[in-house]
Amino acid sequence: MSTQVSAVTVGDPAASSPSGKQASSAVQAVKRLATQPSTLIAIVIIAIVVICAVFAPLIAPYPPDQTDTSASMSGPTAAHWLGADTLGRDLFSQLIYGARTALIVAVGSVALAMLIGIPMGLILGYKGGWYDRLGSRIMDMADALPGLMVGFVVIAILGRGIGILIFAIGLIFCMNFARIARAITLGERKKLYVDSATVVGHSNTQIIFRQVLPNLAGPMAVQGAVFLGSAIKLEAALSFLGLGLSDDQPSWGGMLRFAAENQADHGWMVIAPGLAIVLTVLAFNLLGDGINDALSGRRHSRMKRSLIGKKVVVQAADAPAGARTDVASRTATVPTDTARTAPASPAAAPAVVTETAEPATASAVLNLCDLTVVADRPDGGTTTLVNAANLHVNKGEILGILGESGSGKSMIAKSALGLLPAGVRLESGQVLLNGKDLAAGSQKDHHAVLGGQLGVVFQNPQANLSPVHTVGRQMTQVLQAHHSMSRAAAKARAAELLDLVGVDEAPRRLTQYPYQFSGGMAQRVAIGLALAGEPEVLIADEATSALDVTTQAQVLDLLLNLREEMGMAIIAITHDLGVAAEICDRVAVVYHGDVVETAPVTEIFDHPGHEYTARLLASHPAAQDRNHTLEV
Amino acid sequence: MGKLVAYRLAFTLPQLLIVSLLVFSLTFLVPGSPAAAILGDAATPEAIAQVEAQLGLDQPFFTQLGTYFSGLLHGDLGTSMRLGIPVTDLLADRVGATLSLVAGGMVVSLILGIAAGVYTGTRPGTIQDRVITGGTVVGLAIPEFWMGLILTSVFAIQLGWIPILAWTPITDDPLMWLRGLILPSLALGITGGAMIARQTRAAMVKAMASEYVDTLTAAGVPRRTIILRYGIKNALVPVLASAGVTFAILIGVSFVIEAVFSVPGVGGLMLTSVIGQDFPVVQGVVLVTAIIVVAVNLLLDVCYGLINPQARPQ
Repeated sequence: MSTQVSAVTVGDPAASSPSGKQASSAVQAVKRLATQPSTLIAIVIIAIVVICAVFAPLIAPYPPDQTDTSASMSGPTAAHWLGADTLGRDLFSQLIYGARTALIVAVGSVALAMLIGIPMGLILGYKGGWYDRLGSRIMDMADALPGLMVGFVVIAILGRGIGILIFAIGLIFCMNFARIARAITLGERKKLYVDSATVVGHSNTQIIFRQVLPNLAGPMAVQGAVFLGSAIKLEAALSFLGLGLSDDQPSWGGMLRFAAENQADHGWMVIAPGLAIVLTVLAFNLLGDGINDALSGRRHSRMKRSLIGKKVVVQAADAPAGARTDVASRTATVPTDTARTAPASPAAAPAVVTETAEPATASAVLNLCDLTVVADRPDGGTTTLVNAANLHVNKGEILGILGESGSGKSMIAKSALGLLPAGVRLESGQVLLNGKDLAAGSQKDHHAVLGGQLGVVFQNPQANLSPVHTVGRQMTQVLQAHHSMSRAAAKARAAELLDLVGVDEAPRRLTQYPYQFSGGMAQRVAIGLALAGEPEVLIADEATSALDVTTQAQVLDLLLNLREEMGMAIIAITHDLGVAAEICDRVAVVYHGDVVETAPVTEIFDHPGHEYTARLLASHPAAQDRNHTLEV
Repeated sequence: MGKLVAYRLAFTLPQLLIVSLLVFSLTFLVPGSPAAAILGDAATPEAIAQVEAQLGLDQPFFTQLGTYFSGLLHGDLGTSMRLGIPVTDLLADRVGATLSLVAGGMVVSLILGIAAGVYTGTRPGTIQDRVITGGTVVGLAIPEFWMGLILTSVFAIQLGWIPILAWTPITDDPLMWLRGLILPSLALGITGGAMIARQTRAAMVKAMASEYVDTLTAAGVPRRTIILRYGIKNALVPVLASAGVTFAILIGVSFVIEAVFSVPGVGGLMLTSVIGQDFPVVQGVVLVTAIIVVAVNLLLDVCYGLINPQARPQ
């Protein structure tokens, strides 16, 4: 049933862990909860409501049904803080007792919904097959019925009363719990630990209760909190319509019903019960949000870590375990390493000094000086991703930036483009494009040179294109951003560009969507987009890494041709030694954020100047000793 | 296009069939007999038998089922037990007001929700984002009918801008109709808008952090164009996918809003029928509501297919 629930997202099932780790992560989640101000406020509000509900007779100045005709319809007075109704019943006392009604209905209906919904979802998700297909269809069907409608029907059939109200609201919610329980169970079901539990010989019941159910606890707590709030809203709406409890039982909705009848003369009466509802529902929603954040905090910190300190794996080699290090945990800088481990080649030290410190020649189109890129850590510190990098590329030259994943080579490209992701920033350094420092100006000014002077092709071909626009739409968009041309002219030019980058049947392909393109073809389109503004420098950021070997060779040929024809400078960022060898004139080797060496490509391959370069070369599958691990 | 509609229809028809079966079976769920429930405790067995015969409840199950479905096919939803008027006539008089109200609420929800979601989603973490997103959290907690009461208090009673009980059918006077629609639509739209704003914000943040936005930026397309043409269209895909559920919620809530603004819609009919246990009317309202929701979902599915090329049948 469609029920109104704040769009709180369920913690990603993938974030939940096997039950063994459950206890400790639960403790962490509770710790995180205690540090969220909004959650603490929510808990205080809920505590007040609970105290009012439990101790209503002690707190309320009058019994809710005690009449005092002399006070009939009085506004707020010393005796009646919120005034009194027609019979002189104290509205403040009704508000206190109303909390009791609200909580009983909310807790009862959510408990009922969980009791029906969770087992249902568990069975559907665990059994799968026909059960699941049928069950899911029914759940989809239930979406066509507004939740309130279900409430109406139950009350029409069974009449009014608190038990019936709880049943009605519980019925409205149970499908939601079933849906979420099913999704999570399906997710857990696919995980290895469930398979291994089966192999070890645990029965299905054991697996459900010991492995799957604990993983449901978090998301169910989130949903439970949110639905408690929704239940209070539903109860209020039904009582407001006169379908909830009988009129002599105090409820916030009933109070509003009375207030609405007298609204023309006593407008103030709508305020207090409404605020009580809003605050209570808000508190439950905030609590749900808080639990969700606390549970997914685990996931967030993981995401951050993966962003900042990507596990460094040499992809050129078979990723030997010894080669894995964490950028975030890096303390020693490369020169120290070099000093400790003897250089493999006598040419090492001079090469480092002369090449990296070599000033850019006058013909440099793009010159990056002392670029330092840092990521802000949650603890307030920073992690250096790129450390005072110096690089330049000349007109018509292809510069390779070679490094492992996570070495910081892509961050060099992104800072040159002014496209650093959130949380990562250029701390110091210059991005000189034809002598003009882009890093000194505003981001807007930096972006103004994109496309026309600086172009880029990113790694993932399909993700580089908007999935809901045709390729033609995106190409003409870019063309019109650079040249004042009509739509028709832009289309014609787009077709030419597609032709240039080797996409056949260009006019037809322009009307297609990215998903209709293969990876290689999509990457050609992305190159076409980058060329539309006729840039002087093209940055190819792992532009061929996601492609198969044949397609990769074709795209590399295309880049070489473009250099020939258009005289562009190209910066090819890659982890692939083969790519670097094939197209680059010069290669810069990046290791842990440092540019350790820059040299002409033949020199790099024949006489690696830096220890790291030598080891990188040795780790390539083409090198003879395949068992040699990369000790860094 | 036609293919897409046909494809969706094929999913819709079984859904309607099952809903109508459920609606049919409602009377069998009433403890005792619906006739006894209508007549109350004082009813004599003869009177109950007479009402049962009148309603056809004394017939065998399959005969009742057959009568019900042949009635449905002829557009006959039975006759109100209390009013003696055909249910279809009762509904025909009121469905227009309900649809106006829900449409108004949906328009307000979409405008507020998408505007707020796009605005906050393009500047996550800023002070504006925090204030507006905080506002949507509060918006979700506000009962729509209370919002209606507050709006009435402020704009109708205190400021006197809009008369209370201002409902006018569109056929009488479209301008007055629109005027009467403003406050109820706002009451419906503020919470609906909060829901859509949260969905839109999340989708927008994701879209703006995507690689295609980087690619377009790097290719020199101005940020404004990227947000308006690419960000929003991509963000609308998930929002549209859940708009059907939002619509179903708004229909339910509109029944309560009607009571606040005295709109002569289906909700009022439902309310009196629920209290009076007038089952043919209750069944008729549930069925018609389900049909409306299903029809709107069909429409939204087609829109979804139009915006998202991958959802089109190949």
